[in-house]
Amino acid sequence: MTVLAAPAPRVRTWPGSRVNGWTLALGIYLIVFYAVLYGPLLMVVLLSFNDSEVTGFPLIGFTTKWYALVLSRPDLLAALGNSFAVGIVAASVATMLALLLSMAFRRVFSGQQIILGLVLLPIVLPGILGGIVLLIFFGYLGIRPGLYSTVLVAHVNWVLPFAFLTLYPRLRGFDKALEEAAMDLGARRHQVLRLVVLPIIRPAVIATFLFSFSLSFDEFIRTVFVTGFDRTVPVVFWGAIVDRLAPELPAMAVIIIAVSTVGSLCGFAISARARNRSH
Amino acid sequence: MNSRAAPTPVSRRWAATGAAWGLALPAVVWLLAFAVAPIGFMVAMSFWKSTIFGTRPGFIFDNYGRIFANPLYLQQLLNTLRIAVLTTIISLIVSYPVALALSQLKGRKKAVLVLLLFLPFWTSYVVRTFVWLPILGRNGAINQALLAAGLIDQPLDILLYNEGSVLLGLVYVYTLFMTLPIYVALEKLDPALLEAARDLGARPLQIFARVILPLSLPGVISGSLMVFLLAVGAYVTPQLLGGPSGVMFGNIIAGQFLSNNNWAFGSALAVALIVVVFAVLAVSSRFVRLQQVFVGGRS
Repeated sequence: MTVLAAPAPRVRTWPGSRVNGWTLALGIYLIVFYAVLYGPLLMVVLLSFNDSEVTGFPLIGFTTKWYALVLSRPDLLAALGNSFAVGIVAASVATMLALLLSMAFRRVFSGQQIILGLVLLPIVLPGILGGIVLLIFFGYLGIRPGLYSTVLVAHVNWVLPFAFLTLYPRLRGFDKALEEAAMDLGARRHQVLRLVVLPIIRPAVIATFLFSFSLSFDEFIRTVFVTGFDRTVPVVFWGAIVDRLAPELPAMAVIIIAVSTVGSLCGFAISARARNRSH
Repeated sequence: MNSRAAPTPVSRRWAATGAAWGLALPAVVWLLAFAVAPIGFMVAMSFWKSTIFGTRPGFIFDNYGRIFANPLYLQQLLNTLRIAVLTTIISLIVSYPVALALSQLKGRKKAVLVLLLFLPFWTSYVVRTFVWLPILGRNGAINQALLAAGLIDQPLDILLYNEGSVLLGLVYVYTLFMTLPIYVALEKLDPALLEAARDLGARPLQIFARVILPLSLPGVISGSLMVFLLAVGAYVTPQLLGGPSGVMFGNIIAGQFLSNNNWAFGSALAVALIVVVFAVLAVSSRFVRLQQVFVGGRS
């Protein structure tokens, strides 16, 4: 980003002024790409207000009854509560583990590569197997499926690598001289941590928490194998798709999109602010 | 890493290593207990025996024998690999120009578009897969538009529940994992190189083929690996958008656990998928540092 953002001398855009056709073609392609990316999502928003018993077209009239229906379904409200609760706990656990891990990774130590491989394992393992291994593991241990047991474990497994990958670059970029200065001025280790390190990395930690929450909130494939009676939002949504194409599905989809978008936008804003401050 | 010139004594290095392990310990213990142990248990179970009375410990190779005895399973595995490779290639073709175009932009416009690229990927892929049903289905946007225009009399059924719709869904859901690493690689490209190539008389296509493409290759490999790994284990997309011809290996594995209750055989199928994944990782590691794939692209 720094390279291209550099001011004068003004660099002509690739591939040169002679053939602006290429730049134009790329620009048009970009518009088409974003249209295809967002078109289906915007269409679901449109359909969520469609006063029709079938999920689809034609558009008949405007209604908000599907939202009213969705928000009055007790199973969905319970699922929303479950998703928020397990999301907050899973994001807290994952962020805490990732924070400690990132602090460890600030210096090179023996065994680091093994730990890194271990951390990346849940990303590399196909999602469906991430659910199945826990299903049989907890099944044979005699642990009953539950929100704060099996589902929480599945979510932390999934979220932890991403929490680490979000947090670690921030801690690596942290200026060690600040810490050393504090030490030289007579601060003790825990004082350095509390008064110097934590205030600086706090935005990154909050951003990591919000991204983790968003990932947890959206998790489906691992959850569906270990869920008990306390189902999460994506699991209930899945059930509604598979059972029948219920007319309130678009409204449900919009609510899910809204929650995860707000969560990740907050994360973006906070991490962008943190980046600006640290530069 | 230590900036001080004096060599650190061995004992202090050990102390530092100990401290680092101490900090890493909670995560390590968590992953050993909840990721490594369950995977190991599943590998063990692939040698067990499932009967109608349940799955009993043992050490038999019947489950693996069954995979090889019935050509259907190997066929399905190969078909799934084919779909995953196709998804990867299509994602590459779709994503590369996007990454290139974004890397050419500047300032606020670029920041906004990059953010807009990220945003949908923080929404559940179940939702992002579902959105194609009201587009491709009988009451979907395409069919209803064609009907309204009088181009067809009956809704088309070929839009959904086949391999094509699965590919479309997979590319839609996973394309960011291709765009992002290529974009990061292109961002690192020094404009001076392009200028030098131009001054030496290279044509735009030559600049692309000889300078831009080779230098963005690490991003291409990273992205391809990520998309392939995600696509090869797909379950949701083929389940929702695929018909009989769109079934993937993930659905077959899930069936053993969700409906057939043959956990031992399901485990053997799962191990087969894991072997494929790790084989791909092993081959890829000859071309890229795997660490770079996951850690490098995000700094």
